[in-house]
Amino acid sequence: MATTSDELRIAEIPTDVEIDPVTLDIIEGALKSARYEMDATLFRSAMSPVIREQHDEFPMITDPRGRMVVGQFGAYINEMMEAWDQGIYEGDVILTSDPFKCSASISHTNDWLILVPIFHDGALVGWSSQFGHMMDAGGRLPGSLPTNAKTIYDEGLIIPPVKVIERGEVQQPVLNLIFNNMRMPAMNRADMFALIAGCRAGEKRVQELCDRFGQETYLAACQALLDRTHAAMRTLINLAIPEVPHSFEDYVDDDGLGHGPFKMKLTIWREGDHAFFDWTGTDPQAMGPVNFYLSEGMFKMFIGIYLIMVNDPQILFNDGFYPLLHIILPEGCLLRPRFPSALGCRTHALARLFDVLGGALTKQAPELNTAAGYGTSPYMLYSGWGEKGDFFYAMEILYGGIPGRPIGDGMDGHSWWPLFENIPTEYLEAYYPLRIDGYTTVTDSGGPGLHRGGNGVEKRYVYLEPGEVSIHDDRWLTRPWGVLGGLPGARSEKILKRVDGSEERLPSKCDEIVVEPGDMLIYRTAGGGGWKDRLDRPVEAVVRDVSFGLVSAAYAKEGYGVVINADGTADEAATAAERERQRTERGDALFFDFGPPLEEILASCKAETGLEPPVPATPLKWSALEDGAEAQQRVRAKDDLPGDTVTAP
Amino acid sequence: MAYRLGVDVGGTFTDLFLVNDEDGTQHRVKTPTTPADPSQGVLVGVAKICETAGISPAALGNVMHGTTVATNAVLEGKGARVGLITTQGFKQILHLARSQTPGPLAGWIIMIKPDPPALLSDTVEAVERMGPRGETVVPVDEQQVEGIIKQLVDSGVESLTIGLINSYISNKHEQQIGAIVERLYPGFPVTLSSDVVPEFREYERTLTACMNSFVRPKVEEYVKNLDAELKQGGATCDVNILRSDAGLMTTREAGRNPIYGVLSGPSGGVAGALAVATRAGYPNILTFDMGGTSTDVALCQNGEPTIGRDTSIGQFRLKVPSINVHTVGAGGGSIAHVPQLTRALRVGPQSAGAEPGPAAYGKGGTEPTVTDANVVVGHLPPRLLGGEMALDVAAAETAVGTIGDAIGLETDAAAEGILAIVNENMAGALRLVSVQRGYDPRDFALVAFGGAGPLHANAVAELMGSFPVIVPPSPGLLCAIGDLVAEFRNEFAQTIVTPMDQVKAEDVGSVLDELGTRTREWMTSEGIAEGDQRITYLADMRYVLQGYEIAVPVSIDDVKAGKLDQLGDLFDQMHEQLYGFFMEDAPTEIVNLRCIGNGAVPSMQFPTAKSSTGDGAGAIVEEHEIVFEGRKVPTRIYDRSKLTPGDTFDGPAIVTEFDSTTVVLPGYTAAMDEYFNILINPQA
Repeated sequence: MATTSDELRIAEIPTDVEIDPVTLDIIEGALKSARYEMDATLFRSAMSPVIREQHDEFPMITDPRGRMVVGQFGAYINEMMEAWDQGIYEGDVILTSDPFKCSASISHTNDWLILVPIFHDGALVGWSSQFGHMMDAGGRLPGSLPTNAKTIYDEGLIIPPVKVIERGEVQQPVLNLIFNNMRMPAMNRADMFALIAGCRAGEKRVQELCDRFGQETYLAACQALLDRTHAAMRTLINLAIPEVPHSFEDYVDDDGLGHGPFKMKLTIWREGDHAFFDWTGTDPQAMGPVNFYLSEGMFKMFIGIYLIMVNDPQILFNDGFYPLLHIILPEGCLLRPRFPSALGCRTHALARLFDVLGGALTKQAPELNTAAGYGTSPYMLYSGWGEKGDFFYAMEILYGGIPGRPIGDGMDGHSWWPLFENIPTEYLEAYYPLRIDGYTTVTDSGGPGLHRGGNGVEKRYVYLEPGEVSIHDDRWLTRPWGVLGGLPGARSEKILKRVDGSEERLPSKCDEIVVEPGDMLIYRTAGGGGWKDRLDRPVEAVVRDVSFGLVSAAYAKEGYGVVINADGTADEAATAAERERQRTERGDALFFDFGPPLEEILASCKAETGLEPPVPATPLKWSALEDGAEAQQRVRAKDDLPGDTVTAP
Repeated sequence: MAYRLGVDVGGTFTDLFLVNDEDGTQHRVKTPTTPADPSQGVLVGVAKICETAGISPAALGNVMHGTTVATNAVLEGKGARVGLITTQGFKQILHLARSQTPGPLAGWIIMIKPDPPALLSDTVEAVERMGPRGETVVPVDEQQVEGIIKQLVDSGVESLTIGLINSYISNKHEQQIGAIVERLYPGFPVTLSSDVVPEFREYERTLTACMNSFVRPKVEEYVKNLDAELKQGGATCDVNILRSDAGLMTTREAGRNPIYGVLSGPSGGVAGALAVATRAGYPNILTFDMGGTSTDVALCQNGEPTIGRDTSIGQFRLKVPSINVHTVGAGGGSIAHVPQLTRALRVGPQSAGAEPGPAAYGKGGTEPTVTDANVVVGHLPPRLLGGEMALDVAAAETAVGTIGDAIGLETDAAAEGILAIVNENMAGALRLVSVQRGYDPRDFALVAFGGAGPLHANAVAELMGSFPVIVPPSPGLLCAIGDLVAEFRNEFAQTIVTPMDQVKAEDVGSVLDELGTRTREWMTSEGIAEGDQRITYLADMRYVLQGYEIAVPVSIDDVKAGKLDQLGDLFDQMHEQLYGFFMEDAPTEIVNLRCIGNGAVPSMQFPTAKSSTGDGAGAIVEEHEIVFEGRKVPTRIYDRSKLTPGDTFDGPAIVTEFDSTTVVLPGYTAAMDEYFNILINPQA
């Protein structure tokens, strides 16, 4: 760590301290509750509904070397600190919103990251950190996420790592500079202090653990916890990752500027205890803001969580297994865009990444085998000036169909993202000039399967003041796939019904749509894909879905081969015959069902969606795509695992 | 009519506690719970305790009752078939819920979602719409509404809920539809969401109202039967039911709004602990109720429990006032295990339950439980329940030995490890209700009760720094004592959502007056004499646009005098206490105003005895060994019934009594106070 502070003493991790298994488990439990306490503190005091109601935030505690011992995302401290030259003192608080200066641990300028060094007996024993999504981060448009941004400079204030509190003293000039650039400074300020309060809670717990067990024992325990996860993951990698490479690919539909679709391709294989995840074959970065600057650490964490979920859910997620995973990201691809690319709307690629990861892991790990879901984070933003000339700005994240799963149906209109919540209609109507005409799910949008995919959401917004609307969504072109005989879920769509009775289709990514009082937006998100053979779904389950209005009688026949009588019961004889007919006609069920091939989707795009199909992107002059083989050799050299270049089958 | 009876129906036992208000004499009885119809167990117990006391049931002046009928109906999903009438466009309100899936990432893969209390096929939309300022956007279409009511009732629903958007601000449409139901089907059970929770957030309000409808027929029938059968047995008294916020309600109210009693059980324990500790001179306490499968903890300050307005039960979050009780899946039956993959020692949340139970119970259980670990280290002597039940020490050692083998420890060390981990889990729960809410646990005493609380309390108090540990007499009966000391209680609220810079003192005053009038009317209608009525006011406040509110006490005199400033200051102070900061320049707002009515009951006399300065030697029944930090330590076993106030002795010691065992660790001193509580403190 480059630092000018002479007195900074980084605690050594002892190698000779024996730690008994019970103490280790106690420290593990205490760290885990510290992490939840960080969350709880933030939720209770944050102002932004995106953090508070939707829980778009992530905590972390690291050891003195910056390795995450508990949290949801990988550590980024080291890379950040390499460029740091201002010293680190007890009582410091660092803020940043620059993805290019923290190895992409935050992936757009809306995420504000707080970093608090933890001292015990004068030595640095770790870091406590938390980041959350700000409602607004300044810039051209409220929300700071213009769908037509071309560089990061279109996306609000870019805060480099800076001390907002130094040795306990609030750095008012810095804060003045920052908040002067915000539309709703009070909210940013409250949310920033809420993030700090969360980090302080983590700091306090670590200090207490050092007091209680001794600093050396605590630090040895951190190391032992990292080692424990390392050992567990080694076993899982050997179980879940095949030695022979195999690939999976899927698409982000467009970049908001009319280009697309963008392919994301992942090839995985194993060499001994080491697993490779190679994104070679992924399309070059987009001109528009759909690039997702993927942090290697974060991706390793995703993989780890997927693999470990079903084995010991009580385990502490930490960095311990990172040396076993090797991530190849060619420079200049959609997932490793070069500075100063636009990053604001990265949730589409982020969500697709899980579809691709799930698809790639499926064959070897059947317990993780699910279909694809609504596959993005659909936003609706609405701003303007109210009756009394007061500025209003509403932002809501919508959800959609959860994939069909081994355990059961995908939930209808639920959040794929953990712990996110919808915003109550009564909250929206009390604070914003909005009336919600209806909030329901889209009948028949879940992909049929033995376990049905969840239905997408339909939310109808009636605007009561003149204003501007933004939409961020995806899966309007390609479909959330079904698996093992399940069908894909339905695509998303947005219809604007003007108060004069006219109707228009809105693209899935757009800004500055001018609305007048009485205009209604019908926002429909995508459904989830079905899991296993749709013709094997128990007839009672289909009858229940029809009686609930989640599936229509017509689709019961088309999608499940179940013939529904006028009284809502099933006609068993007709059902048996219809299922037999469909089985014969279909032949063997597909392993993955993506719907029609891409060429066909593009050809029928205008007719089916009312929107022009996206066109292939032209390469950006300032960001050439690195060759996949070179990228792989670069990673092999960095991770010290020499070998021949492995290519996708 | 001097007798008061507290009755608590628990999972295994029904506890009864009888007090003679004139001379303070007390009687206690424990009978098995009869899960099929819990009133049967209650009646058996009542007969038994009357017999013990030598009185006729007619002498009972009051019966206070904590019941889990509503709790179990929710947890088991066995309630009435509920029909829901909601606003057009919101039929899927319960189906969509808050759209939440559990963490961490990929938690949705293993999520199991229970059916809501009203199924989609029993939910219909009314043509009507209320706006957010209480203005009618679309009037109720009476003809359409008649049609959907008939459709629901004819289809066989047993209970109706009306839950409309924005009814928190104006209940006009809900009442209008309620009146139509009453006209079409007089007497049909109907719950209006604006009656049960007149607060905003439509999902929680509608869910709570539907849950009320869901449990209502069951609870109504239960209290009716109990009342009738008690009367048949010669009793003439009223039966009162304990609410989740440790207030009492009449059976009439319990039949109408049973959801207020959904956590009646745990709240009785907290109320009992508080009564005992306050009397002993400790108004600031952490309660520690450890049972077979879980542990309930709560914080009480200045003799008052902390009341929250969000109550989680199973996967449902209900909007009813309840004591902030936090539950962890750690109890005597919690199973210790070592996952293959990580080789870590985990305790719970799986539990051996009552069947097969811990290995030491000899009922076929083989898995190592917390109870088995207690047997191995000697905290539980080989004979329980006054010698009635022998423990199988060898079976406990075998079970715990499997854990030792898996992590490479001797059996004794493995047992100590299991106890250390379960104690840590429970301390985590205590930290959540104290440290995480800005309280220093060292300022609180720890009151231990429940079957296993006194076994672990000393060790847990050591982790928290919370002393003294108070172990009341008959720690297993504390819930029934809580039933006895509870006051009548109800609260009424009105959502106003107004920023402080726009709010007028006279408007606040008139809302409070109206709430106060309603509260007094309610108390009077429940038969509470005017002199026993006590009224307090709260304002739920937050910074504008925050999502959670803090309940700030309101002085009605200040409001009447036009002073509101101190409300904002008090809110800032409470925000700082809870979250560690407050915002000087951020605007605040009042979300809800509340009025809480308490109706006093006669205070209870606790038996006392003059303190002497004994050492309890006369109560020693046995010498024994316990394992402490890897060593075997000679330990005396005391019979609690032979200890007298003033007796003081050092740990290690074990105190046994009919329904519980107390452990005093080395380095600590136990003393019996004048109320027969055992107080444990660090040795001076």
